Parts: sequence; C-alpha cells; structure tokens
Amino acid sequence: MPLTFQHHQLKNGLDIVAEINPDSHSFAAGFFVKTGARDEATDINGVSHFLEHMMFKGSSTYTWEDVNRIFDEMGARYNAFTSQEMTAYYANVLPEFTERTIEHLAHLLRPAIRNEDFTTEKNVILEEIAMYLDDPGHRLYEKVMESHFANHPLSLSVLGSADSIKKLERDQMANYFKSRYGPGNMVLSVTGRLDFDEVVRLTEKYCGDWPRVNAPRENLNPIYTPRREYLTDAKLNRNYTMGMTPGPSSQDDRRFAARVLADVIGDSDGSRFYWALVDNAIAEDADFGFYPHDGCGSFYISLTTDPERTDQAMKIALDELNKVKTDLKDDEVDRAKNKIASSLVLSGEVPIGRMRAIGSQWLYNHEYRSLEKDMATLMSVTPASLRQLMKDFPFDPMTIVTLGPGEKK
Amino acid sequence: MAQRFLQQTFPNGLTLLAEQMPGMQSGAMTLLVTAGSSNDPINQSGAATVLADLILRGAGDRDNRQLTEYLDSLGLQRSSSVGVHHTRLGCAALAGKVIEGLPAYADIVQRPQMPGPGFQAGRDLALQALAGIDDDPRQKLMIKLREWAWPSPYGRSSMGTKEDLEKLTLEDARNDFATRFGPKNAIISFAGNVDFNQLKTEIEKHFGNWKQQPGLTIPRTPPPGNLHHLTQESEQTHIGIAYPSITETHPDYYSARMAVEILSGGMSGRLFTEVREKRGLCYSVGASYSSLKEFASIFGYAGTSNDRAQATLDCFIAELHRLSDGVTNDELDRAKIGLKASTIMTGESTSARAGTIAHDFFIRGRIRTLEEIKDAIDAVTVDQVNAYLKNNKPGPFTIVTVGPKPLNVPK
Repeated sequence: MPLTFQHHQLKNGLDIVAEINPDSHSFAAGFFVKTGARDEATDINGVSHFLEHMMFKGSSTYTWEDVNRIFDEMGARYNAFTSQEMTAYYANVLPEFTERTIEHLAHLLRPAIRNEDFTTEKNVILEEIAMYLDDPGHRLYEKVMESHFANHPLSLSVLGSADSIKKLERDQMANYFKSRYGPGNMVLSVTGRLDFDEVVRLTEKYCGDWPRVNAPRENLNPIYTPRREYLTDAKLNRNYTMGMTPGPSSQDDRRFAARVLADVIGDSDGSRFYWALVDNAIAEDADFGFYPHDGCGSFYISLTTDPERTDQAMKIALDELNKVKTDLKDDEVDRAKNKIASSLVLSGEVPIGRMRAIGSQWLYNHEYRSLEKDMATLMSVTPASLRQLMKDFPFDPMTIVTLGPGEKK
Repeated sequence: MAQRFLQQTFPNGLTLLAEQMPGMQSGAMTLLVTAGSSNDPINQSGAATVLADLILRGAGDRDNRQLTEYLDSLGLQRSSSVGVHHTRLGCAALAGKVIEGLPAYADIVQRPQMPGPGFQAGRDLALQALAGIDDDPRQKLMIKLREWAWPSPYGRSSMGTKEDLEKLTLEDARNDFATRFGPKNAIISFAGNVDFNQLKTEIEKHFGNWKQQPGLTIPRTPPPGNLHHLTQESEQTHIGIAYPSITETHPDYYSARMAVEILSGGMSGRLFTEVREKRGLCYSVGASYSSLKEFASIFGYAGTSNDRAQATLDCFIAELHRLSDGVTNDELDRAKIGLKASTIMTGESTSARAGTIAHDFFIRGRIRTLEEIKDAIDAVTVDQVNAYLKNNKPGPFTIVTVGPKPLNVPK
C-alpha cells in the first residue's frame, strides 16, 4: 500500500498537499483555515463558528438549497468544524466526483452572507448553544478552558454566548471573513485515489483568483495560576471534574512523547488511571489526555464520579501523576506505543482520517509527515524521554473545575 | 481472482465469516454471542452489560491485569457493547496481531474467571452509568422512546434498571454466563488482510470445543405505545418520534430505506430543509431506520428551545404525513447515490466491514457483496417508492418528550 506525497503552491499562495493511495475507493478533500475563536475580538466572540454555518448558505451564484443539493447529488459525506484555532470544510466522495467536489468546496469558501440567511441561521446557532447547555461535559470543558487560559485568547468559547451571538451583525462577520479567509492562511488537503496534476489544475481553475490574505495570529505566552473552582447546578446527578495543566505545543517535538505519556497514564483501558480509578469503580470514567495547541499545549484529567467520591478520586489521580514521575516502567511504555501504532495503521487505511491529519499538520508546521515517519518517531520514544517530559512539564500549575449538584439537601 | 468471502458453520453452531480486503495491512474481528438486552433474565435487566464487563476481568490462566496487559501488548484496539440480541466484542490492529490474540478471546468467552470483587465493581459502574442518564436528556429520551415503541423484551434498555442491578449477585451472573454464553448462533467475523486457511485452523482449534449453551427466550409483551412526557428542567425540549417500518428482508426494503433517505439523508433531506434551514427551529433534527430481525422502526429526534418546541413537533409531524403524497425523481436519485456512496466508503474500514458482514449473516444468513447492494439500490424506481409510501402511511406514532412542559400532538 504505497502512499505518496505531493505538494504544490498556487501563485496566490494557496498550498495544496496530497497523499495518494491508489488502493483507495474514495477521494477526500478539505480546506483547513487557520482561524478560530482565539482570533476573535471579544465583542464578536462566536463569529468563526457562526461563519462556518454561513458558508453553507451559498455563494454569489448558489443558494443554500443549491449547496445542500449539490453535495447530496454526489452522495458526499461532508461536514465542517470550528475549534479555538482552526476551521475546516471537507467532503469524502467517490473518485468520479473529484472536479465537482473541488468546484463545490471552492464555492463554499466564497460565501455571499445574505442578510435573510444570517437572521435565520442566528436562531440555529442559539439552538446549538442551548443544546450544549444540556451537556455537562461540554459546559465543563468551556469553563476549564476559560479559567485555565484566563487572559489568553484560547479562553474564548467556540460557540460564543447567546448574548454575543444576538448582538453580532452581518457586516462584522463579512469583515472577519475578509481578514481571515484567503491563501496564505489555509491549505487544501486531498487524499485517497486521485491524480495530483489534475487536482492542481482544478484548484487553479476554481481558487486561482482568490486574493492572498495575510492573517497573523497573536501568539501570547499564557500565564497560568493554579485554581480550584466549583460550578453548581442542582438538577445534575453526577460530578464532572476536569483538571488542566501545561504540556507541549503542536510545534514541539516532545508532542509524540506526550501522546505516549497520556496513554500510559489515562487511556480508557489498561492505563494507570484505569487500574487506580475505574477498575475498582471509584470513578465511572477517568481519562488523562493531551491537547496540543498552536504555540502551547495542555494535559488534562477528566473524571465522572458520584458526588461524594469526587475528592477521593481527584486525590488518587493527582497521586498517580506524582508516582509516575519516579516509577515509570519500560513495559507500560511499550504497551502504549503498540496501541498508538495500531491506531496509526487503521487511520492510514481510511482517506478521510489522513486528510484531516495531513491538513492540520501542514497548517501548524508546513510539514508533511508520512505514516512511516510518524511510526518511526513513535518507536523512538523511550521511558527516558517520558521522564524528561515530566521534568519539563511537571503537571503544575493546574486548573481544576468540578461541575455537579453541590451539597444535596 | 482469489476468493473474497468465507462462510463456515462449525458443528457446535458457531459461524465463521471473513472478507479478504486487498491493500489492507490491518485486520478486524467482531464476535457476537447471544446475550443481549432482549434476553436478559426476567428481573435481571442489565445482566448482559454486567457480564460483558465481568468476562474481561481475567480469563483462562490470566488474571484481570495480565489479560488487559496482554491484549494491550498486541496493540489491539478493543471495544465491547451490548445490543438487543448480542454481546459484541471487537478488536482491530495489524492483521497478524488480531490472529495472535484469538486464544485470549477464546478464554474470555469460554473460561472467564468472573472474580467477586470484579463483579461488585462492574455492577457499581453499571449503576453509575444509569445515574448519569438523567444528566443527558437526549440519551434518556432515546432509551424511553425505544422502550415505549418496541414490544418488550426488544425495547428493554441494555443499561437495566436500578432495582434489578442492585439485586443482581455474582451467582446470578455466573448462572447467566452458563445459560447465555456459547457457540449456538454465535458469529465470529474477520475483515482485512486475513488468510482463510489459517483462520479456519485457528478457529477450529480454539473455538471448536466450545460447549453449546441452553440459551434463554423472554416472552413478548406489546409496547405501551403512543404519548409520554417526562418533566425535566432542561435547557431544550427533546422530542422523539417512532413509527413502524418493514424489516431488511422484506421485498420492499429498499423502497422503505429510500423514503428515510429522502426524509433525512443529507442536508437536502426534507426534515433538515423544512425544520432547520427554512425555519431555524433547531440545530439537531433527523430520522433513521433501525431494524431487528423481527421488526423495524423509524426513530426521529429533534432538540429545540422550549418556546419553539410545539412549532418543531408540528412541522416534524407534517413532514412525516407529506411523505405519503410521494417523492420526486430528483429526490430518489440523491437518495440512491447517497446510500451507494456511503456503503462503499464505509467499506474502506476493516472494523466496519467485520461488523457489517456479521450483521448481514445474522439478519439474512449470508454475506451480501457491495455489488449486490449497489444493484438492489439501482433497481428501485420512483413508482415503487411512491406505491410503498401510499400503502404504508407513517404511523401510528409513539411520541416521547423530555422538557419542562408537555406538547400537544397534532392530528
């Protein structure tokens, strides 16, 4: 299964990256734009995500009904997502729809932002915000990011608040679009069965006249202070607790060791947290994970418990973080590496997974990493590199927030 | 060309299925055993969920920790779940590692240690998961919708009830294992880079002496049906709508499937267009087809602000009724390409294929090729779909709402 990589930059600065798999049955394409909540002024918080919705409302030639219909006429699996630092639009189709997909994604990325559509979609966004208020995990995550990153732009909510969305005006969104969406701040990632020269020709045809946009991102150093916070909602049954602490960034070579360390400590099965907390049912869920961001990074603890067991569970989790610094074993590192290696092989066999991986990698680092290279880097991680990592990032300071019913009457 | 599929049933009742997928390095396994929520013993609802946890806490010569560490050392990406009919165990990794792990899986389903403390912890986890449902109104709604739309025991939740779980003992679990875990009607399937001869030899060696189980069948009782409201001070009102459909083996199956695709297939589907795009009533709205061997249903969902909930329900029901007026050629064309493309693209993952061929065998007694599915979809005409919809008007509806206030159901 030989995968080959190709890269080309159009005259206007648009990067195209491709990983070609002749054995594949499908073609996947996605635009990855380096923009998200962290690039928003606070008075327009939520605009990146709202704009992502407006992209599906049509260009100067298409209405929203055309946009949806054309995707469905190709039988495409398509979607978009917005995070604190990236917005992506993608489609997975049968290879015969290669041209139509590139043309259609190009239309998507040149939105008309019509007033009438803006007003209707505002209601959908408000519904999405309401939906997440019924999801304790999401509420907790937003609160932890807000407290942990304090004055850093990563503290901003992706959805925004009902208040900021209600106040947002159509022209504020149009200006934000102009300042963020252009070659120079995005990449087109394509994978699966494809002819690269043809993809370049088509991208030139449909995106060659887009004006270049230079959209610098402010990269402040976050200032962390330890915090312990409680959020009370009497209608909840369970306690949801998250702890967040600094880790390596998306650009940092230590991110591979960080992923292995996260699996050793907190994978859903067979990890230290599993044995110390879940195997004995002190916690229903206990994870330790790693989020690399642009320019900084985080490790996090996530626990779901009976309210009366939260303190006990958190103490055990923190004790495990201390212990692993001194008693890390070779075989647990090997097991974590084997599990990650399997997930790399499995993701490499599905075009849509690789499209996301190489697109976001390029956006952060202007680097292509083959599966073989990722595999070799993974295999070169040693217990010593994990120990060094924990000296560099000693899980301190930490922001801890619990969301739950509070004291039961 | 090399043989693509393998199907073989052993004398003890276990069926082995496999699909060779060119170009893949990985392999995936699915193992279905006839312990599901629909055959949980009476007054022991949730028993299969507790067992699915317990059998992984040590098996054969390996204790709890040794077993987990061994499977981890092979790099197996594992899953386990309980459905209506089966307990499902799955794993995926480099194909050779999946085969290497087979003896351990044979231990898990034939010789689990089922330790007492492990049982207590597993039952505790099941009770905690149950307590979490009230924090997730959408999940709570979908559990209740199935329970009230489908006859018992098929509508029973695999999570069980607090009352039953609290009474469940280790002895119950061990008896239940002896009753329901065995090769009769069990299915083990593989997809990816697999060698059929090696597979047959390994399965025969490790599962050939697996002793048949007596099995358990729970009597059927009709569902309570129609309208239910659960009061909860949630941010949104969550609306669930169910009505009967036809099973996968019915001659009109693809007409029924096309109708659901037209209703809710892509973003041009009728529900998304009318409820979300035109009216902005909600973020999440959709309907899907769900089939057991015995019967099938359409399940719909919408989540919306409390003051827009009535308008959302009215619009949703109106769209369901409008189906019987017929669909257009363009709508059918989109539905066909959508279903064909998703069948092909889902088929690119070894895990998905292992699951699909096991499901095919359970429902139809054989594996369907992608070509067969494609031909069947191509053969559907707009006249067939419209005739089907005319003769099978959506309904009767089971409607469940979770939210601060009940809604009025439109005529």
